Amino acid sequence: MSTADPTKFKIAKTARVKGIALCITQLPGSQRLVFGSSDFKVYELDLAAEKPQPVEYTGEGHQSYVTGIARTADQIVTGSYDGRLIWWDTQKRAPLRSINAHEKWIRDVISSPDGKVIASIADDMRCKVWDAATGNLLHTLVGHQAMTPHHFPSMLFAVTFSHDGQLLATGDKVGHIAVWDVVSGKQVSELEAPVLYTWDPKQRRHSIGGIRSLAFSADGKLIAAGGVGTIGNIDHLDGPSRVEIFDWATKQRVQEISDTKFKGLVEQIAFSNEGNWLVCAGGDNGGFASFYDAQTGKVLHQDKMPMHVHKFVLNDTQDTLYASGHEQIAMLEFKADPPPAAPTAPTPADVTAPSN
Amino acid sequence: MAHTNSSFCGSPDHGVSRRGFLGTTVFAGATAFAANMRVMDALKNPCLAAELKRQQKSVILLWLGGGASQFETWDPKPGRLTGGPFRAISTDVPSVQISELLPKMAQRLKTTAIIRSLNTRNADHGGGTRLMETGRAMEQAVDYPDLGALIARELGRVDSQVPDYVSMYSETEGRHKGGAGFLGARYAPTFLTESMIPPNIRRPDSMTEIDHQERADLQKLLAKRFADKRYDPSVASHGMAYERVRGIMASEKLFDINLEPQSARDFYGPTQFQEQCLISRRLVEAGVPFVKVARAWWDSHGQNFETHLELCADLDQGMSALLDDLQQRGLLESTLVITLAEFGRTPHINASLGRDHFASAWSCTLSGCGIKGGAVYGKTDEDGQKVVDGEMKSGDLFATIFEALGIDHKKEYQLGARPIPIVDFGAKPAMEILA
Amino acid sequence: MNLVRDLLTLSIGLALATRLHAADLIAPELPIEQAVDHYVQTHLAERQVHPAPLADDGTLVRRTVLDLQGRIPTIAEAKKYIESTEPDKRLKLVDSLLASPDFSYQFRNQLDDLLMSGQKGNQNEWREYLLKSVRQNRTWDQMFRDMLIGNEEDPETKAATTFVRVRAKELDELTNETSTIFFGVNVSCAKCHDHPLVDDWKQDHYFGLASFFQRTYVTKKNVVAEKFTGEVKFKTTKGEDKVARLMFLTGTTVEEPVIEVSAEDRKKQDEEVKKQTQNDKAGPAPKPPFSPRAKLVEIALQSGNDQLFARAIVNRVWAMFLGRGLVHPLDQMHSGNSASHPELLDWLARDLISHKYDLQRLVRGIVLSQAYARSSEWSGSTASPAADLFAVALIRPLSPRQYSMSLRMASAAPETYKPESGGEEWPKRRDELERNCEGFAHQFEQPSENFQVGVDEALLFSNSSQVADDYLRDSSDRLIGAIRPETDKAKQITIAYWAAFTRPPSGEELAACEQFLDKRTEPVAGLRQMVWALLTSPELRFNH
Repeated sequence: MSTADPTKFKIAKTARVKGIALCITQLPGSQRLVFGSSDFKVYELDLAAEKPQPVEYTGEGHQSYVTGIARTADQIVTGSYDGRLIWWDTQKRAPLRSINAHEKWIRDVISSPDGKVIASIADDMRCKVWDAATGNLLHTLVGHQAMTPHHFPSMLFAVTFSHDGQLLATGDKVGHIAVWDVVSGKQVSELEAPVLYTWDPKQRRHSIGGIRSLAFSADGKLIAAGGVGTIGNIDHLDGPSRVEIFDWATKQRVQEISDTKFKGLVEQIAFSNEGNWLVCAGGDNGGFASFYDAQTGKVLHQDKMPMHVHKFVLNDTQDTLYASGHEQIAMLEFKADPPPAAPTAPTPADVTAPSN
Repeated sequence: MAHTNSSFCGSPDHGVSRRGFLGTTVFAGATAFAANMRVMDALKNPCLAAELKRQQKSVILLWLGGGASQFETWDPKPGRLTGGPFRAISTDVPSVQISELLPKMAQRLKTTAIIRSLNTRNADHGGGTRLMETGRAMEQAVDYPDLGALIARELGRVDSQVPDYVSMYSETEGRHKGGAGFLGARYAPTFLTESMIPPNIRRPDSMTEIDHQERADLQKLLAKRFADKRYDPSVASHGMAYERVRGIMASEKLFDINLEPQSARDFYGPTQFQEQCLISRRLVEAGVPFVKVARAWWDSHGQNFETHLELCADLDQGMSALLDDLQQRGLLESTLVITLAEFGRTPHINASLGRDHFASAWSCTLSGCGIKGGAVYGKTDEDGQKVVDGEMKSGDLFATIFEALGIDHKKEYQLGARPIPIVDFGAKPAMEILA
Repeated sequence: MNLVRDLLTLSIGLALATRLHAADLIAPELPIEQAVDHYVQTHLAERQVHPAPLADDGTLVRRTVLDLQGRIPTIAEAKKYIESTEPDKRLKLVDSLLASPDFSYQFRNQLDDLLMSGQKGNQNEWREYLLKSVRQNRTWDQMFRDMLIGNEEDPETKAATTFVRVRAKELDELTNETSTIFFGVNVSCAKCHDHPLVDDWKQDHYFGLASFFQRTYVTKKNVVAEKFTGEVKFKTTKGEDKVARLMFLTGTTVEEPVIEVSAEDRKKQDEEVKKQTQNDKAGPAPKPPFSPRAKLVEIALQSGNDQLFARAIVNRVWAMFLGRGLVHPLDQMHSGNSASHPELLDWLARDLISHKYDLQRLVRGIVLSQAYARSSEWSGSTASPAADLFAVALIRPLSPRQYSMSLRMASAAPETYKPESGGEEWPKRRDELERNCEGFAHQFEQPSENFQVGVDEALLFSNSSQVADDYLRDSSDRLIGAIRPETDKAKQITIAYWAAFTRPPSGEELAACEQFLDKRTEPVAGLRQMVWALLTSPELRFNH
């Protein structure tokens, strides 16, 4: 039974941080968050504290923006524009293993739902699949074009696992999505969402946008791709936030959400476990979070966020969202009112341990 | 008075037709105003040494309209919050690093001096553009020429058979023709936007070559009767303009890169900017003294890093191919290649991961002719917030450019009763980066 | 009073310092043209320079029609004048040209070029305002008021404030251009430093003048308005921060009346102004009790201070018709740059003020002078006299509009345009002509000092289909179509010469053209080429 009610969405807590918090994860059974920053560092922040203070991970870390963070069974893995993946001990907050994973800027790192497999993507246009425990490379998924049709280097921005961990989807700058079988490393489908890429051939002669976020529905049938719709003046992120939902097996686009109320990039998307709604967040100079009905694409609820959101993580009961973004970390709650028969109020530390 | 040549010694020595100098025929009678400005120059310098020195020199200006970021190009600040995600990489000059977004230029920095200390104060596109195009703060009532016109005036041949100021600006954002200001339309640019073939350069199909020629001959004959009795520089410029038509028409092929072998085209690359770099080499090789290739639009208020990933790749390839090609052809020592914009970008990275307008501490480069390659002039603080050494204003940059080309930066034009210095009041060249 | 005036002059030490006492000037009641010729002739005699003879009738009628109508004369117009034996034919010509509908278009265009440098776009209402003003002979001081402080609720004067509206975004631009256009004074270098060449202009002058415009802004609804507060702060050359006083160029300063306003009201005012700049549904813009711009207008037109205003426009009108200002350059009217004919400038300024800034009266006087009517040819053995002697007529490039209209008329069949016919028909045709020529005119630069023709223009004429398909068409309404049926080549050539140059060809020219046509295998193509050679002559490109 879901405890979430998007219409109850409220900002429960915020904490200012130095720099830009580009990625975030949550440590099991706590409100301890780990985020990667534009100051090249990884921090832990305990939102349960009265005045949460970021605590720096030490040891030999990254040498550029930390753009991806994944939680494995008992560790975290971060990826950076420096091309490296680093495994960290979350107790000691110190590195365990460092791998030169990609030749170019790593855009994201994620873990499979069971925490056993890691996937990283980078501007070398490859998705690499790693054994989370050993750091062994399992597959290199090659299928995205290195150059845009306009002779510029392309970028690989988005990656996601299906809920059963069997599939991966990757999305690039020009709106191309590839679906992969994790075990075999083979591409099983591809989709196109060209509207998420704005190429300006005349006024400014470069591009903006790209697929910035991907998510599978819980049943694995749908893929949502997020970004920004067509932009007139590509100097700014001045276009509708945009989500396209595909039935990837039939390659049908089943939903197209172009939201002019909140402009800018959809940086992250998540489907509810029941499959009835999806939440996405992102921003331009400001930030937003929007809940849509997964079937109709209608807005269930949406609101400003205190900052441009780069990434978020949902708790396991899917009624709390921790977002990292521009100089801020925020905790958002959208809990359904407790049924009158059960008068116990939810405790603040309502985060349950991951299933594994 | 400007229309007589009585003050000129008339020695046939000066008539040796050299680039930038005059054939004897244009001296006679109602000479073009421009021609006489050259005579005046020569008089100031009887041995003509300076005149000879700047022969055959050319400038290619790569104009990074909208404002490229100094952090992502020539003045990286790795590891600082203001520095962004990109690394600084080593170059072929041991002590100098530039952004990793310019890997090819990093291997060619021996040709290039970097200026990291521009403080030009005007962070508005229009105002900044005028400032950096003319080298001085606008004085509304004096219509200053832009760099191209000044160079055309200084290095161009009065009776040139090729255009002496070609300006390419294909993007529409910030597109700006610039102009010759008080130097007059003789030095106005041949302005190319959509098509890279200049307008009206082709003979109409309805006319034969002979008819076109003879029609022009009749025009000249009839016009002469009027012009001969009227000593007026504007009238003379009219005659000169019509006389140049046939030569300019013959230069059409310079703009046609289909005439280049495929290998040359591949060498430059497929983008429009890269093709324009190739055109600029063809033009310079044919004696065009000033070519501007605008590559807009870098105004990355949102997504600065992605914008620079694209545009720096374009710049890095086009510029390095151009420098290599000029070098291989022995043209680099007589060609000054400049990268410049109206301003740079803020140290602060905004919430859209963009950088905004910033004119207090930014960079440009000078490569080739008269330049001490590998030199770095000026310095910004560790976060790139301000200039801490060698502050340079637009006028100082112009003075440096002129000196690199052998043009005296203290030179003055006479505009009516007013002496107008060629660079802004008090501007000084950065001698440290001059060869 | 005299003492006050003297003190003022003393303290300001500027262009006024060269002003002579009224008593030294010749009589104020003389006709303008006589005063002009008196001073110009005396000046020449003192230097023992013999001026060029007066231009012949054909040249003079062409010059005058170009200047007062903005186009070349038709053959009929020109011949009527040339063939007339009336002794006062020139006077009659000038008066009829000034009274014709064409004059209002042409003088409007001249004022537009002066006030907008042809660069600020063609705003219809603005040009309509100018046209109406010329038709009503609105006085220059009144136009100045309209342009600077016109009522924004009256559509007519709202059009006039376009002058401020298009410049309001840039304080420097508004300051400098007001100063150069209306006062003949370019103080812009005094912004950064005291003027390097001229003692008259200090930073205080520049920022003082800017202070009158500091509060000016344009609302979201595009209405020119003023804020309640705001002052100009600047750094002196010595590095001190200074608040500028409201100071006119003559040194006259203004103290803003002190009005007590509570902090709360001040805040309300600021909010209202902010709303005006952001919201296009805001009500009428508030009018602060003190308007610095209105104060500027008041001071500039005050007796004593008005010299700058009067002399600047006299100098500009003179330059329009003679090709060069009495003070040159036009924006350098200061003590270090005296007039070529100081007494004449004084006389004309006095005359203009005493005749309530009637510009058309000034134009008439100048055009009737001998100085205006000299030949532009110089065939003597000596070098051509210096331009500032006005001993030989200066060559003036046609404005883009003049050129475009003249090309159209020169390339038309001779009977196509009949301005001399009067009646209802011609004003409509003229209006049409004006509009039809706008597009082609846009391809040319507005002439300025050191004007030169660029090769782009020569290429346009040489190769564009626009020229070939329009001016060189051989349909019956065009010159080529009209002379084509003529079998006698000499006649064809002669008509073409009259159409293009208001004169017959010389023997040499006739021979050259005949020879050219004889060589052509295709007669119509030959005519087109010959007419092209005439249309592209400097004789058509310049007013001479």
